[in-house]
Amino acid sequence: MGRQRLLSMLAVIAVAIGCGSGTPQDAQATGPDERAGEPIVIAQATGGDSAPEGGASVTGSVRFEGTPPERERIRMSADPVCEQKHQSAVYKENVVVNDNGTLRNVFVYVKEGVQGSHPAPSEPVVLDQSGCGYTPHVFGVRVNQPLEIRNSDATLHNVNAKPSGNRPFNLAQPVLGMKTTKTFTEPEIMVPFKCNVHPWMSAYAGVVAHPFFGVTGEDGAFTISGLPAGDYVLEAWHEEYGTKTQPVSVPASGSASVEFAFSAN
Amino acid sequence: MVRHPVSNAVRVTAVLVLCGGAGSVWAGHPEGDVRAGRETYVRSCAVCHGAEGAGDGPYARRFYPRPRDLTSGIYKFRSTVSGTAPTDEDLHRAIAHGLPGTNMPDWRILDEQAKWDIVAYLKTLSPVFGTIPPEPVILASDPGQARADLAQGREVYTKLGCASCHGEQGRANGPSASAFMDDWGMPIRPANLTQGWNYRGGGAPRDIVMRVLAGIDGSGMPSYTGAAEPEDVWQMAYYVASLQEPIEWNPIVRAVRLGGAPPAMPDDARWDGVPAVGVRLRNAVDSDGVWAQPATVNLVQVQTARTEEELLVRVVWDDPTEDRDPQAADRFAMLLRPHGVRGDQVSLQAWPYRGAPPLDVCAWRASDGRAREIVADRFDAVDASRVSAAPLTAQAAYEDGRWRLVLRRPLVQRGLEHAAVLGEEPFAPLAFAVWDGGNPGARAVSPWLDVRLEEPASGAAHAATH
Repeated sequence: MGRQRLLSMLAVIAVAIGCGSGTPQDAQATGPDERAGEPIVIAQATGGDSAPEGGASVTGSVRFEGTPPERERIRMSADPVCEQKHQSAVYKENVVVNDNGTLRNVFVYVKEGVQGSHPAPSEPVVLDQSGCGYTPHVFGVRVNQPLEIRNSDATLHNVNAKPSGNRPFNLAQPVLGMKTTKTFTEPEIMVPFKCNVHPWMSAYAGVVAHPFFGVTGEDGAFTISGLPAGDYVLEAWHEEYGTKTQPVSVPASGSASVEFAFSAN
Repeated sequence: MVRHPVSNAVRVTAVLVLCGGAGSVWAGHPEGDVRAGRETYVRSCAVCHGAEGAGDGPYARRFYPRPRDLTSGIYKFRSTVSGTAPTDEDLHRAIAHGLPGTNMPDWRILDEQAKWDIVAYLKTLSPVFGTIPPEPVILASDPGQARADLAQGREVYTKLGCASCHGEQGRANGPSASAFMDDWGMPIRPANLTQGWNYRGGGAPRDIVMRVLAGIDGSGMPSYTGAAEPEDVWQMAYYVASLQEPIEWNPIVRAVRLGGAPPAMPDDARWDGVPAVGVRLRNAVDSDGVWAQPATVNLVQVQTARTEEELLVRVVWDDPTEDRDPQAADRFAMLLRPHGVRGDQVSLQAWPYRGAPPLDVCAWRASDGRAREIVADRFDAVDASRVSAAPLTAQAAYEDGRWRLVLRRPLVQRGLEHAAVLGEEPFAPLAFAVWDGGNPGARAVSPWLDVRLEEPASGAAHAATH
């Protein structure tokens, strides 16, 4: 083979090698495979294909100690569509003390001790924007369970979610009846939601990898059922007063009882 | 076959060099080097963005908006879905073009490789680049100006609820325009859409479509992906672009000579023939050098006219709220150079300060619509009763987020010691200060312009005696 042709062949080979060595830097270049650092951990399955069904439950309530603070009134004059939906005064929901002295909107969940994996149901949890307020104000949603966010008002709402572990988003819903479905991929206590157009609006989502949670309502009580016997740690979260934890031992059937108390200080 | 005289060695070398570079050509942009990027960052960026990128550089507090916290992973101006990382090109664009209306300059002085090195370094500052890959927004295609239907665009603007923040005429005076905080805890306002020169991400229809569909993460501006058809958003973008008002930026404003009765009212049709000049306003920083809040007034459009004896100044500025309460009223001041005061004009960003030279202040307030002129070393002297003052004529009107004001001042203000004498020299320095009563504590000030008084056509010198 003549020298010219040898060199030409080498050149061709060099081109083939060289042009293959660059890394295509398209939009997906830094994909999950190339992440440095911790992989995202969702619920760890410790053993068995699915969680054992339990027959026990934990019940309890959340007391409020001290004088309840004055509830702050919300003015909705910025948007007549909002104002027109209310016949009486509307108040912020950051601290709501029930008539029986219990605290509303406390998110209670099993923080430690849950065994097995609990795949999320496919039915969505619904977060509604109605009368320019979120309903519910505090709620739970499972990891990978669809969260359907609805606009039931004839005005623009934007859904501005600011989780710290999950992916944040800020989505406009300009039209009555619009629905947007999102999912959260990892547990998080709690994901705040707000609307920039109506800055008094606020909601919180507790994202958990199992079904053992509840939110206190008008009676300040909660029931968490379906737990297998064992030792657990329960946590109660309130948006103003923080968190409290309590250990609880649950028998094979029947129930255990846990009381929480928050105070204004 | 004619052989090219280049030697084989050269040919092979050329091919190999090409292949070494082919890897990066394949990528669409040069590969950035993180270490080189860090070095360039420390030299060029850290003074504002901070040693570790947290937006806390030594000069950060002097700026509004603040330099970005690059460790938060939240980027405002992207071509990607809300909540996802920006693309490399998004980062490069911010560096190469800067952000208009902010203190982020364009970095043309850095060569391309240096810019891409910085991009590579920025991506190490937040985990979002590894965990939430950029998801490009679907833009659809540009219908083009010829097929833009502004009426349809207006309908889309209404349907998407834009006016609730941006206002019916885009003047950032919508009912929900106040009480926004950005993700870093700073107050923030919706954009005034009439100010195309001030859109951070650019004012062309394509830029507008991108902002609407991607949202501006970290601010109150949501993403409309999934909530609006991209084709509708294009029509709306052409409508929004039509709201932009062109500005003639010029440090010299001509006081056009008018005959007949002076046009005292802001809506007098004769003002249509008087050329307007745009003047950029900046908030004065506080005594610690901190620029704490967004300006609600950042532009004044000025027209001047003169008669034989008077200077008329018509000013137009956007203010989201009409504030007439005497405790916190909208106010406007025109500043002139006092007669006999030596030295250069003092910057209004510094004035007043202890020991400052006096200025001739012609001040109007919305509470009673009155205007007076004083020569003093501070603004609030204008309300003091014991200060020697001269009354001025003023007419003002407020409509949908916009003030229009005509101030009239005699060229020679008799009876006010050291008052500016206009007409002696061809140019006279002129500056402005604006207060929005709804944004207390902030004062927006202009640089000094020159007003050029037009001479009479006959050329006869005018001796203003009376």
